[in-house]
Amino acid sequence: MSRQPPLVIDNGTGYTKMGFAGNSEPSFVFPTVIATHQSASSGSASAASSGGRAPPPVAGKPSHLASKRGIEDLDFFIGDEAVANSKTYSLHYPIRHGQIENWDHMERFWEQSIFKYLRAEPEDHYVLLTEPPLNPPENRENTAEIMFESFNVQGLYIAVQAVLALAASWTSSKVAERTLTGVVIDSGDGVTHTIPVAEGYVIGSSIKHIPIAGRDITYFVQQLLRDRGETAAIPPEDQLRVAEKIKEDYTYVCQDIVKEFKKYDADPYKYFARFSGEHSVTGRVSGVPSSSTDLTPSHLLFAHRRAQNKFERFLANRIISVPQKYDLDVGYERFLAPEIFFNPEIYSSDFLTPLPEVVDTVIQTSPIDVRRGLYKNIVLSGGSTMFKDFGKRLQRDVKAIVDGRIAGSEERSGSLMKSSGVEVNVISHKRQRYAVWYGGSLMASTPEFYNVSHSRVDYEEYGPSLVRRFSVFGSAV
Amino acid sequence: MILLESHSVIIHDVLTDRFEKPSRADIQFVDYDNVRFHLSTPQSKAQVLLSMGIQCWPDLVKFGAREHLQQQYAGLLLGEAETEPEYNVSLLIDLEKLPATPEEQTELINQISLLKATAMSAPFLSAFAEQATLQANYKEPAGAQQMDLQPSEHKGELKVVRYREEEAIYIQASHDHVTIIFSTVFKEETDRVYGRVFLQEFVDARQLQSLQSAPQVTYSNREPPLEIRHIPGLKTGEDWGYVTFILFPRHFANPTKALSTINRIQLFRDYLHYHIKCSKAYMHSRMRYRVAEFLKILNRAKPEVAHAERKTASGRTFRTR
Ligand SMILES: Nc1ncnc2c1ncn2[C@@H]1O[C@H](COP(=O)(O)OP(=O)(O)OP(=O)(O)O)[C@@H](O)[C@H]1O
Ligand SMILES: [Mg+2]
Repeated sequence: MSRQPPLVIDNGTGYTKMGFAGNSEPSFVFPTVIATHQSASSGSASAASSGGRAPPPVAGKPSHLASKRGIEDLDFFIGDEAVANSKTYSLHYPIRHGQIENWDHMERFWEQSIFKYLRAEPEDHYVLLTEPPLNPPENRENTAEIMFESFNVQGLYIAVQAVLALAASWTSSKVAERTLTGVVIDSGDGVTHTIPVAEGYVIGSSIKHIPIAGRDITYFVQQLLRDRGETAAIPPEDQLRVAEKIKEDYTYVCQDIVKEFKKYDADPYKYFARFSGEHSVTGRVSGVPSSSTDLTPSHLLFAHRRAQNKFERFLANRIISVPQKYDLDVGYERFLAPEIFFNPEIYSSDFLTPLPEVVDTVIQTSPIDVRRGLYKNIVLSGGSTMFKDFGKRLQRDVKAIVDGRIAGSEERSGSLMKSSGVEVNVISHKRQRYAVWYGGSLMASTPEFYNVSHSRVDYEEYGPSLVRRFSVFGSAV
Repeated sequence: MILLESHSVIIHDVLTDRFEKPSRADIQFVDYDNVRFHLSTPQSKAQVLLSMGIQCWPDLVKFGAREHLQQQYAGLLLGEAETEPEYNVSLLIDLEKLPATPEEQTELINQISLLKATAMSAPFLSAFAEQATLQANYKEPAGAQQMDLQPSEHKGELKVVRYREEEAIYIQASHDHVTIIFSTVFKEETDRVYGRVFLQEFVDARQLQSLQSAPQVTYSNREPPLEIRHIPGLKTGEDWGYVTFILFPRHFANPTKALSTINRIQLFRDYLHYHIKCSKAYMHSRMRYRVAEFLKILNRAKPEVAHAERKTASGRTFRTR
């Protein structure tokens, strides 16, 4: 039998990208969110305990978890379905700032990702997961524990997102040699990292985080719209979604902000764009025919049938949207939104360093012998680097900083020394949006993947601490 | 998600997308039980080729899988000669010749995303048909008491579907019921325990009033059930389990009922293993909760550090950090 392809799963703060190794795009991209029934009962539990009498400290008081019976642990949704069901379930985001925060939710998120969406029996597959830079080893251990003990996977590899993004950049025609040396700018939903990588190893001490990413840009767009009074037409619960849509579809990076303002003021009709949205007014549909359950061959479990009835009742009350149109103008936010990477002071008052400067600092604090290689290979990855001309502007600004410094030192040497110049290259490519996933898919489809992965046998021998050991792809390069 | 679904979400999503707007594709993916799919557009954007490789194909063919698929996917199924190499079945969907109405298109998409389920249903359907013939030819013995003296020639052929590397489904028709036996293996000690508990519960659940009409289920650990004990090479280790379902004609009385029975039953093994994994996840949450509670207690038990106020010579206070 031919080997089953490895599963490649990139769980990000905002979106989960997952699919099978060897493909060029993830099969599923949906929000990393889980909708459960839990919060109602936990809310009442905390209300009860706050209502005076302190519970006895040691006695096993029934937690919302312990009092669960039957199928509630199976009754949840993830991804887009979770968002669609947010009215009757409560939403949880198990990942914060790139790191897994809630292991209970994450474990169930994976459960459904693998069984419902990928339809894979994890016992038959190797799995490649990704982690943010500087992920604490405890997190890797927890991950390994879940993958090996709950899911019995055949093998596991936890890859650093930045390294995968570097590998993904090999598809760009601008990349001449396949190297794992470069600076990765990974900007997703929650946080932006600039990560120097030398020969596949992350230079941990030089990593810089920038607390501005996709979500902030969305808030900023929303704020700009609100300031101009455009949001009046949008229902409050849709505002963020509309702002996000505008951000993704209408914005671009300008090369000179002052000129851009002048352009807009001189000819607003040319540059203002129009956005049409749909009002979602809620209505009810009823009468979804419920399938008769008495012929379930096995009647799996009595409890599970009850759950199904519940599910069907829920379907019958499903809320549908009746669209209603509205229009709004999209103006300066078209270029101001991504501008916060280059002039953070327009949005934030506590983080003020522009991205090009951060990139330069990261490289300057890296070992001197890799700096040239780093300047030469600045790779973009993640949804929030998708703005039009983002790479072009970044390259220009970094180059300006570098050239300025070279000129300065030449002058200080009394023009005795002449530099041959430093090559600065910012790499954009067509797989940039899902670069991390794509890199993972590339890596996991090489035969070497099986050698660097931790296998089930190894796990049984060494336990979770196994994943503290880290091996990079060497000859795959 | 409480029950596993029968259709492939990827096929459904990709086709829904392509029906609206044809574009290139080259996607490989899987389904439970060693099924591989390849969806591609080798010639043009409008020609979607969907191929499936399924481990137990040699078994399925014996029980009329190709004919069944031919009937279900008339006009789409490619002949054996044109089937994509390394796969068993290929469907060619021409996006320029789609049915006119959106409803028909949705119906077509749903039908195609059930490709695996449809292929797997062949041996079940053939057993149901066999049961009908056996019943028609069956002569009621003189007295009701003699029921248990059934002569054995009233049994149909024993169909074996080796749907996974080591696990198999055994299907046998007889004049008044169809027996389906799953063999399954638990790779891990913990799984075995969970599996046994679940299966025991599963057997017991039938005693509930509301589930009386459910098929009869029995479970045996190690020992293969009588029906298949004569087959050579059956595994009998501690980690082997056998689940037997007895389906009566009422469970497959009409085509819709039969289909839904088949779709549920063929996912039984996957459901079982899914359930085991969910139970483990649930136990893990409980354990994490417990650990957190104990930590709280431990933290409370820490002796408090006596905080003597410190003063400098001039009388100012300061705190150590
Ligand atoms: N075309 C686009 N232009 C601008 N922003 C976009 C575009 N497409 C997606 N985004 C934004 O990218 C973000 C998601 O990116 P990504 O999927 O890389 O993040 P993530 O991996 O979930 O998060 P992180 O890497 O921080 O953990 C969202 O904020 C989304 O709005
Ligand atoms: Mg990411």
